[in-house]
Amino acid sequence: MKNLITIIIAVLILATSFFIFTNTPLFVKGYVKVKGAIGEIAGPTLKIAGKPTHFIGYIFNSYFNLIGTKKENLALKKKLETLQLENQKITELEKENKRLKIILNLIEQAPDSMITARVIGEDIKNWFKCIIIDKGRNYGIKEKMSVITPKGIVGQAVEVNKWHSKVMIINDTNSSVDVYVEGKNTRGILEGTGQTTLRLKYILKNDEVEIGDKLITSGKDGIYQKGLPTGIVITINRNKPGIFADIEVMPYNNFKRLEEVLILKR
Amino acid sequence: MKVFVYILIGLILTILESSTLSFLPIEFFKPDFGMPFIVYTAFFLGPQAGLITSIFIGLIQEIMSNSPHGSMLFTKVSIFIMSTFLKNKLYIDSRYSFSYICGGFVLFESFLFLILSFLSKGETKNIVNMMFYTIPNAIFTGFVSIFIFSLIEFLNERYLNREY
Repeated sequence: MKNLITIIIAVLILATSFFIFTNTPLFVKGYVKVKGAIGEIAGPTLKIAGKPTHFIGYIFNSYFNLIGTKKENLALKKKLETLQLENQKITELEKENKRLKIILNLIEQAPDSMITARVIGEDIKNWFKCIIIDKGRNYGIKEKMSVITPKGIVGQAVEVNKWHSKVMIINDTNSSVDVYVEGKNTRGILEGTGQTTLRLKYILKNDEVEIGDKLITSGKDGIYQKGLPTGIVITINRNKPGIFADIEVMPYNNFKRLEEVLILKR
Repeated sequence: MKVFVYILIGLILTILESSTLSFLPIEFFKPDFGMPFIVYTAFFLGPQAGLITSIFIGLIQEIMSNSPHGSMLFTKVSIFIMSTFLKNKLYIDSRYSFSYICGGFVLFESFLFLILSFLSKGETKNIVNMMFYTIPNAIFTGFVSIFIFSLIEFLNERYLNREY
C-alpha cells in the first residue's frame, strides 16, 4: 500500500514536471520559486567548491606544459615568423582598434555599466552550453543582460539568483545573435550548434561574405549591444541546394577557458 | 540516514563536476553522477528512498544546467518509476551489471528528453547535439558507476550496515 502511494506521488510529480516543461504559468511560477530557493543554497556551495579549481587547473596545465615544452618551442619559432608577416597587416589592426574603441566607449560613456564576475562552474550536461558566474541579483544582474570578454561576446544571463547567475553561451542550440559582417552590408543570424563552432544563417549565396570575415553584433536583437565582436567566418558552402549559403563561424572566445567575464548593464 | 548520505554524495559529486572538473577536457563524455544513486536507491532501498533521491538529484541537476524548467525532474522521476517496475526483471549481481543498467538508463534519459521536447514543443532543435553525446555519456556514466557502486558498498559495510 505504501509503495503504491509512492508510485502515485511519483506519477503526479511526473505530470507536474511535464506541465512545467510546457510552460504552463500556474505550475512554472511555483516551480521557479522552489528552484530559486534551492539555488540560493547551491550557489555559495558552488563558490566554495570552485575555489580550488584554479589551483588544480594550474597544476594540471603546468604538467602538460612541461611535456609539451619542446613541441611548443618549435611551434613558437613558426609563430614568430607568422607574426612578423602579420605585423605588416596594420590595416587589419586598425579595424580591430576601431572595434575595441567601441567597447571602450561603452565603458567610458557609463563607467558603472559593467560588472565583472568570475566563472565558478559550467553546465553539467553536454547537451546544453552554459556557465555559472559568481555574481547575482545582489550585484544588479538581471536576465537577458549580455555577457562579454574583451575578446568578444560570451552569451546572455538566463537565470539570476541572489548569489550566482546562469549564462547561456552563444554556442548553445537555443542561442541566436543578430550579426553583420564587418565592413560589408551583409546581415544574418548566428546560431549555436552545441559544438565549438557556430552557424551563420540566412545569408544569401550571392551575398558578400568571405572566409576570414569578422562578425559584429547588430544590436537589433534587443539583447546584445551594437558592435560587439562575435566570431570569424571559417567555412562557406555555396554548393548546397537552396538560396542560403552554409557558413561556419569560430567564436573569438574559447568557452572552456573562461575565467572572468563582463556583464553589460542595460 | 542511508538515503541522506547517498543524496549528499550525489549532490557533492554533481557540484564538483560543475566546478572543479570544468578545466578537464571531458566535454565529449560527461558522466551523470546522479544516475547511479537514483538506480541504487530505487533498486535496493525501496520506492520512498528512490523517489526522494530522484527529486533531489533532478532539481540540483536543473540548477546546474541550462536545461528547460522541469525537464531534469521529469527524466529523473521517470527513471525512478522505470527502475521500480524493472526491479524484479533486472538482476544486479555485481558492480558490472549495475554499471550496464546505469549506462542503459542514460540512453533512456536522452531518448525520453527528445520525446518530451517533441511532444511539448513540436520540435527537437537539439537532436543532433544530443545524439552526438548520448553514447559517450552512457559509456562513461557506466564506467563511473562501477566506482560509485563500490563506494556505496564500502560505506554500507563499514558505516551504514546496522541501519534499517
